[in-house]
Amino acid sequence: MKSAKKAGDRPARVLITRIGLDGHDRGSRIVAAFLRDAGMEVVYTGPWQTVASVTNLALQEDVDVVGISSLAGDHLLVPKVIKELKATGLGHVAVVVGGIVPDTDIRTLADAGVAHVFHPGSTREEIVGKIAEFASAARAQATM
Amino acid sequence: MSDLKGKQEQASPGYLEAKARWNAEFEAQCKDIGKRRNRSGIVVEPLYGPDNWNSSRHLQDLGFPGQYPTTRGIHASMHRGRPWVPRMVVGLGVPEDYNRRMRELYAMGLTGLFVSPSNIHLRGYDTDEVEPELITGIGTLISTSEDFAICLNGLPFDRESISVGDTAPYTLTAMLLKVAKDRSIPWSSLAGTTNQSDYLSHYAALHMFFRLALPGQKRVLLDHAEWMNTNVPRWNAFSIVGQHMQQAGATPAEAVGLTISSAIQYANDLIERGRPPDSFLPRFSFFFDVSLSFFEEIAKFRAGRRVWARIVRERFKTQDPRSQRFRFHVQTSGADLTRQQPLNNIARVTVQAMAGIFGGLQSLHTDAYDEALGTPAESAARIAVATQNILREEAHLDDVIDPLGGAYYIESLTNQMEDEIVSVIRAVDDNGGMAAAVQSGFVQRLIGRSALEFQKKVENKEQRIVGVNSYEHDEDSRTLPAGTQRPDRVKVDAYLERLRAFRANRNQSKVAQALDELGASFESSNENTFAKIVGAIDAGATHGEVCARVREAVGFGEPLVLV
Amino acid sequence: MTDFAARMKGNVTVHLLVARLLRGEPLALARAISIVENSGNGAAEILAGVREHLGKATLIGITGPPGVGKSTLIDALITEFRRRKRRVSVLAVDPSSPLTGGAILGDRVRMSRHTNDPGVFVRSIASRGHLGGLFRTVWGVLQVMDAFGPDFIIIETVGAGQSEVEIADYAHTNIVVCAPGLGDDIQAIKAGILEIADILVVNKSDQPFAQSTVQQLAGMLSLRDPSVPVARIISTTATNGDGIPELASALEELHGSASGNDRNMENGAKARRILARSAAHLLRERILTGSDPIVKSLCDRLKRREIDPPAAALELLSRLVIHEADATTGIDCFDR
Repeated sequence: MKSAKKAGDRPARVLITRIGLDGHDRGSRIVAAFLRDAGMEVVYTGPWQTVASVTNLALQEDVDVVGISSLAGDHLLVPKVIKELKATGLGHVAVVVGGIVPDTDIRTLADAGVAHVFHPGSTREEIVGKIAEFASAARAQATM
Repeated sequence: MSDLKGKQEQASPGYLEAKARWNAEFEAQCKDIGKRRNRSGIVVEPLYGPDNWNSSRHLQDLGFPGQYPTTRGIHASMHRGRPWVPRMVVGLGVPEDYNRRMRELYAMGLTGLFVSPSNIHLRGYDTDEVEPELITGIGTLISTSEDFAICLNGLPFDRESISVGDTAPYTLTAMLLKVAKDRSIPWSSLAGTTNQSDYLSHYAALHMFFRLALPGQKRVLLDHAEWMNTNVPRWNAFSIVGQHMQQAGATPAEAVGLTISSAIQYANDLIERGRPPDSFLPRFSFFFDVSLSFFEEIAKFRAGRRVWARIVRERFKTQDPRSQRFRFHVQTSGADLTRQQPLNNIARVTVQAMAGIFGGLQSLHTDAYDEALGTPAESAARIAVATQNILREEAHLDDVIDPLGGAYYIESLTNQMEDEIVSVIRAVDDNGGMAAAVQSGFVQRLIGRSALEFQKKVENKEQRIVGVNSYEHDEDSRTLPAGTQRPDRVKVDAYLERLRAFRANRNQSKVAQALDELGASFESSNENTFAKIVGAIDAGATHGEVCARVREAVGFGEPLVLV
Repeated sequence: MTDFAARMKGNVTVHLLVARLLRGEPLALARAISIVENSGNGAAEILAGVREHLGKATLIGITGPPGVGKSTLIDALITEFRRRKRRVSVLAVDPSSPLTGGAILGDRVRMSRHTNDPGVFVRSIASRGHLGGLFRTVWGVLQVMDAFGPDFIIIETVGAGQSEVEIADYAHTNIVVCAPGLGDDIQAIKAGILEIADILVVNKSDQPFAQSTVQQLAGMLSLRDPSVPVARIISTTATNGDGIPELASALEELHGSASGNDRNMENGAKARRILARSAAHLLRERILTGSDPIVKSLCDRLKRREIDPPAAALELLSRLVIHEADATTGIDCFDR
């Protein structure tokens, strides 16, 4: 765990954000800390981001992974985020969702291109490991 | 304060000798004699006795129920005279859905009415102002007073107390007043609470659904409180919240300390406006989480009563007992519930509820076992209500007032919790009071540290969570509850059509004029802005329109985000 | 594809990237920043490509201790610049964890109202503390951001360490933000930070004792090296906008005609400092990393006490060969 999680030639860059209407952020703050402790650079935003702002953030910050925390059913907006990322030339960016997602919606998200859904109770190892994996893959796919 | 509590008993030699013998046997039997601490960090001993606490200071530290310092209860008769009010957060679907669910639960004995609007509403928008994906089933879609009227059909809110989940600028309360007026129900007969009206805790725990810049929040809340005080005398405009901070990671003691600090801030704000303390303190009410840390929570509430009574007497110099009452609603903590093996949550909620009842709450919300996933299914909600009925009717928990009073552990722990709570209040004082402390980030950092500590304990299994980091087993995902049902598409479309019709069929110029008056009222400090909100809703303005006008006047605040 | 062809293809791609960047395409800027920040493939070509397009932006360094409302101030300043139809870019620097190398980049939280404004580009960057870290590459990053075409580039740092002082030299003007009631924390505004201030902003000036803070600071400034131009003190209340137009106007005064020289280095002392630091960083890297036999043999002789440190340094400098590749791009030739 002590070796920096790199994606290609640089530390993995991850955007941790929250869309929709809920304000709770205890989980996303803890995940951000996990990732930092694993040597990643985490761009952390406030709550209530929109599809447009998440896209702009991912663009400006040239991130490898976007992690969206969802508590109140807002995850159904995520497919729109993925669509917008692709349209903006950021199709290589991996999108993961963390939080309360009913099993009935997991299929919908997977079909839309969500790389992984982290349920509450996911361990640090799982979260860091998977995100590092996705970050490497994203960086490899990124083109100028 | 601690050395005045008689903790050190002048024990007899016989007592000390017997204790030493017990201790030797205990250590021989106990493999692990490491220290155990509760969530507030207080060491929990294996045994408590008269050397931890004795009753020599009964009148100073405990008092009789209803008598200063009210440690044993704020009323003389407590639950024996009038059982706690079962009051659950109810909010789902379109207004008709809410109405049906609330009426069912009311028939089951849920006499505390509660209206929880949708997240869209709490963020300050009308239902049709946001992306359709965000129309979830959480909370009831309410944008107009017509929606609210449908919610309340057939519900006796003139007889029962009603809580409205209403953050600034309190349009839902204004809608209630309009519905009452339209039904010829005098405002003087309305009893209830502007639930979670407290903006400071929302700001501190990032829970703030509707972000106005802080000065605007203050104006709107104080105007609301003053107006309700005059026009709806049985209304609690202040619902000061510890729940969010505890859910964000504050320890139970910190949550109470910070909540009382918020109350002190609001009291000072009103005094600054020239209001005498006894004119508003009796209408202060509190809202707390109760966690699974059973005894700690009981002690927390008892300590809270004592601390509040003392603070009110010492800082605000009032003798009126009604001003010193620590009246609070309790919700079982969703943070303790798990998604895995959800039926286990029924056991959790029962223990949490008992702690709250023994702690002397005034009203109680018991979570449904699937509440961690979203709005409860009807069957789960029924079990939650039944749980309260069982505790009252079958376990007879309303028979005895403060039944754990006098227990060495409970009294000793109450004293220790009091010390923790007071030290938090002092720290906030040192940081300029609650308003300054949340703006500087002091409160958020305090909560963040505690959150991280708890997380570490879960990670290294110091804190075990059944089904999550211990006693796990594979579950068939088909047996897990489905979570929030999104409202039926057909119903939502009908709702949106009705909303459109509402906007089209009202007196547009009346609405426009009322909104202009609302906007203008912010320019002068002599006007009461809430009076104008009542006027705007009465004229037919929608929730979103009122919020937009207020935002225009006072600005959209930004939360202070710290990692 | 042959090696040669691959390189040619790479060059064409970089060329296109630079062209898009110069046209003001944010995605191209974002990619270019990443490449230059990490000295990746194509970094040298990118920097060569933008060299002719520098000089429009005025670089503003903003620093200060935590709790003074720096982020709110920057947010308000951006709003004001935008009102004046100015394009703004922000480079927000946060410290990397010395233990893990990771970082939480949270400065832009306070600027979220500008996220969707095409006239504002915000990038977060980690200081990557070791071996001169950020200093090594921030020069290139700022050039790329300059070429993108904004009127102002704000460099925001926390104001706690040495690298903030170093970065200050890259800015045309440096703002240090304070607030009243810091009490003993006035001392926390370490002398080094205060030295770099061209403008001192006293924020939260609606609070009591704001005036005495201004006086205290004026006193401290008067103790500075008299050859350094006197710093201006501006009072602001970022939360309601007081003082912000004045601050923006002061910064606009600097934003002026392009000149052949790097306006930043018109102060001769600054040029020397930048040269000294760059040389020192280059040398540090060569010595601390890599397997240069000269370095190794000198270290052995130091260990055996056959030579003392000043003599060893002198011998090293006389014998070290600097390759052209090292000098022009700052790319560490031992990293490959």
